[in-house]
Amino acid sequence: MKPIKIAILSLTHGHSRKYFQTLKENPNFEWVAVSAETEKIKNVFLKGNYGIPCYTNEQEMFDKHPEIEAVVMASANNKHLDQFKTCTQRHINILCMKVPTFDMDEYAQMIEMVEESGIVCQIELELHYNPVMARIKQLVSSNELGKISSINATNITLSPVWAFPWQNDAEASYGKQVQLRPGDNRFRGGALADHPHVFDMIRCLTNSEFEYLYAEAGQNIRKDIQVEDNLLVSGKMKNGIRFLFDPSWSRLEERLEIPGPGWEIYPKRMEVNVSISGEKGVLLADCFGPNVYHNGAPNDRYTVQYTYFDEWIGMMDEFVDCIRNRKIPKINLKWHRETVEAMNACYESIASESVVYL
Amino acid sequence: MELIKTERDVEHSLMNLLEKYSIPATGPFQLFGSFKPDVLDLQPGCHFLNANKEKTQIPLLPWRMKRKFTELKKIVTDAVIEEPCLFRISSRGSRDNWTLSSLLYREMDLCEFIGNGKIVSIQANINDTEIANLIVKLDNEILCSIEVSTQLPGNAILQDRHEVIGRRGVASDMVVDTQIVQNSVYTFTEKGELSYTDTDMELFGFNDRQIDHVRAAFSVLKDSALITEWQQQHKHLAKLLKIVFESDKNREKINLKNVSIYTHETN
Repeated sequence: MKPIKIAILSLTHGHSRKYFQTLKENPNFEWVAVSAETEKIKNVFLKGNYGIPCYTNEQEMFDKHPEIEAVVMASANNKHLDQFKTCTQRHINILCMKVPTFDMDEYAQMIEMVEESGIVCQIELELHYNPVMARIKQLVSSNELGKISSINATNITLSPVWAFPWQNDAEASYGKQVQLRPGDNRFRGGALADHPHVFDMIRCLTNSEFEYLYAEAGQNIRKDIQVEDNLLVSGKMKNGIRFLFDPSWSRLEERLEIPGPGWEIYPKRMEVNVSISGEKGVLLADCFGPNVYHNGAPNDRYTVQYTYFDEWIGMMDEFVDCIRNRKIPKINLKWHRETVEAMNACYESIASESVVYL
Repeated sequence: MELIKTERDVEHSLMNLLEKYSIPATGPFQLFGSFKPDVLDLQPGCHFLNANKEKTQIPLLPWRMKRKFTELKKIVTDAVIEEPCLFRISSRGSRDNWTLSSLLYREMDLCEFIGNGKIVSIQANINDTEIANLIVKLDNEILCSIEVSTQLPGNAILQDRHEVIGRRGVASDMVVDTQIVQNSVYTFTEKGELSYTDTDMELFGFNDRQIDHVRAAFSVLKDSALITEWQQQHKHLAKLLKIVFESDKNREKINLKNVSIYTHETN
């Protein structure tokens, strides 16, 4: 198969560095260029010695590399619409970060542009390619638990805002400044905006859509950020399954500008745990465990050293397959719209302090 | 619920990986079965312990493919824990899956692999053919205990622990306050308690040992330099095993400096 010539845009997303190894090792890709949002980001990238040309002007990169067939859109959420316009005009396939936009009019525009252009647009929800999640799907679909009553899940992490400041900027993250609730000095665009996975996963596991959601934000763990850093969500799917989610930034972090060893204060920086109750029994799962553990450098703190994070291999394999064989990705724009609508409903619920029906 | 993967499925999965990553297979190979001339025989090294090894028999060290061991090795190599002094290994398997020799072979290899050294002395204490307690030293001065047993009931999951203790920090594959190996998924149903640990999406559905076997075979087919390295390590481990039993028989610590040609090599 002819390798796909691919570029990474912006490099401001926390997942950018996950692609560096995958694009180097997967023979189905030829990594040809990157664009960096700022000189500072460019310099950090160049220190990695990847041998890939880096541009601070996206248009210049596209002009100099007309061979680019696909991009990883590793940018702040408010950059996505313009980048969609550029890519669809140039017929460049898109792998977009977790939230294309929270503005549903913009979202509709994106769908229209992608359909007119005929490109492949896949959304980066890597949990689908996690082997523990694959096992959960298999156990649920083979009816090992019987009729499911409830699915509870965590998607909790440290806060990335010190390394990726756009995630503490309501306009960059949520698209505009919207007060979290009346009388609150915080805005939408924090932990919830960072954690769509559980909202997506429950739709996939239950083959159902949300009937209603209720969400409540706690007082911030970090007093000096302008977006929400913890919240709880409960609700019901249309097929009757209940759920409780915790999509918080509830693991404290060292305020590093460049993520690296010693980032975490709590031993495990990222957790997706799932519990499912059904008429035949219960399932408990840790999508990122077990691992190995140490209390060495740099901070002598007990720390989880992950043995996972291979999700990008499967995800990129699907992206290749969709581009070369003209298939629609499992997580495409249309599928993902319901997930983003559910997240918006959570914000409405926080503001109104009431259940929101979809 | 799930179809058991056959030996043929395992060999197919290796061929799929080779094709995906454009690795040319130089000739016919097998992952199971008895020796056949002109067929590359890729099996765990402990399978070749009691046979006259042929040139085409490539001893694999599949446990080295496990991410938990590569990460532990990385922690030691990158000096995340500094100046390791003590290494504690415990490994208890079921007799239908392991012999004392095969488990000792595995754990002595991991001792050297993670500890970044070569065993230079052994004191062994063996009870029948199912229990062995070893005190060994690496050439980098790390003192190690290796506890091995094959008395778990049939088909039980291997219960192993690898803990490196340094002047700065401890690293372990066992989370604090636990005694048994953790899993990713547990189900509690009418069938009782079942557990699953899946770590490899490209080989999803295969069991742990099958995955390690395929990954190890893939590694040697991808990088032929590994064949020489692992052949040398196999010879070394086979020699260490003889010394283990000799140490127990004579009730003495055996210093290998005079008997092993590999003493000063590093992994």
